[in-house]
Amino acid sequence: MAAPVFIIAASVSAELHQAMIEARGLALTAKNARALAVRAGSKTVGFRAITDFIEELASAIISQSRVINHHAEKLSTQAVTAWHSDNAMAHFRWVEAQKPEHLASIRPHINQCDKQLDALNHELQIGLRDLIGQIDESYKHIRTANLIATSSHVEAATAGDFREQLEVIADNIRKTADRIAAHLNRANSLLSQNHRERKIAC
Amino acid sequence: MLATVLYEDGDHRWIMFARDPGKPDGIIDTNQYLIQSGNEAILLDPGGIELFAPMLSSVLKYVPAEGITKLFASHQDPDIISSLGLWDQALPNAELYSPWLWESFIRHFGMNNITYKAIPDEGMTITLGRIQLQFIPAHYLHSSGNFHVWDAKAGILMSGDVGAALEEPGAPLWVDSMERHAPKMKKFHQRWMPSDAAKHDWIRRVSALDIKIMAPQHGRLFKPPHVADFLRWFEQLPVGVAIKG
Repeated sequence: MAAPVFIIAASVSAELHQAMIEARGLALTAKNARALAVRAGSKTVGFRAITDFIEELASAIISQSRVINHHAEKLSTQAVTAWHSDNAMAHFRWVEAQKPEHLASIRPHINQCDKQLDALNHELQIGLRDLIGQIDESYKHIRTANLIATSSHVEAATAGDFREQLEVIADNIRKTADRIAAHLNRANSLLSQNHRERKIAC
Repeated sequence: MLATVLYEDGDHRWIMFARDPGKPDGIIDTNQYLIQSGNEAILLDPGGIELFAPMLSSVLKYVPAEGITKLFASHQDPDIISSLGLWDQALPNAELYSPWLWESFIRHFGMNNITYKAIPDEGMTITLGRIQLQFIPAHYLHSSGNFHVWDAKAGILMSGDVGAALEEPGAPLWVDSMERHAPKMKKFHQRWMPSDAAKHDWIRRVSALDIKIMAPQHGRLFKPPHVADFLRWFEQLPVGVAIKG
């Protein structure tokens, strides 16, 4: 059975929250790299330029994760409202089948609830599509992070005494990028699974 | 859902809904009440989510949706009012009367449309159609913010958990012998009612009323002479004492 959308959206939000925490770690790595580049002086001129990219990247991932996290939380709240309306409609259908004497008196509210449910479902579909788009966008940052890690390794090779320390920083960047990618993959998988199951249900 | 008319005088009616045969096992049986007068009706302790559909269906047999202008929740328990989120869709223009103490808790059941009317600690009187209903304080019986409903014209006291008994399905509607009924109430009252002082205060308050029917939220209802029998039994019963050695 498919997990309800409000659980999926909340899980996506949680994954992006973790991605944001990882990105904060990346920002710290950038600060360490800058300090090291200053100490190493002329041997790490190329690396110093890379530290700017790492800082920008960390800031971009934090900001993007925050947006997606907020979007997913909002979507989860909307999905709960839709679930309430859906639940109410199921009860109303049962009542309709009983044909109580004053059934007509409740019809306007049933219709209103039905309309609200349609509107909410439509909003949810759009919201989920947007969320998938935003996560796809985040993968660009991962590709950038991997490029930066490769460049850092190249710069480390010419850094003499500082080579080992710079290689640690380059590894940190790659590992952090991998961890962020893992969170994005899990979020993506949750959303894709829901999308597939919704298609089958249709 | 079994519907029983408890009182009828022109357009003034009390209807009790209970003993739902479709009720899932493991859910405590509850008595719900509808009071009608003129073009208005109030639902007392409308019940839990599981009972919503049979309740709505039963109620619509007697009164159109726009006629149910008020809801009353004696306290915050799920068997009293967890269906609120669904009534909120069915009766968006209704008002919910409930203890002020529980407002921010009861709203957790979902309330976007219905208006919360907070009952102050000392209680209040409202007009329903052509009659007056009094919300009588019953704090700590069992909830720390708790009210009962008194309809002086009909002489009916909706007494919430006071007088409640946990019985087998199919039990009769009326108490016919206090001697046989008391054991079914004893543990419930001793465990759920925490305060002897609150109990005595309530007994003093309701003893002044001319009660023709005492209608609890679980189990059988009381008529004279069993109303007075109950008050005497309750007065001597130590409560808040169900503590394991």
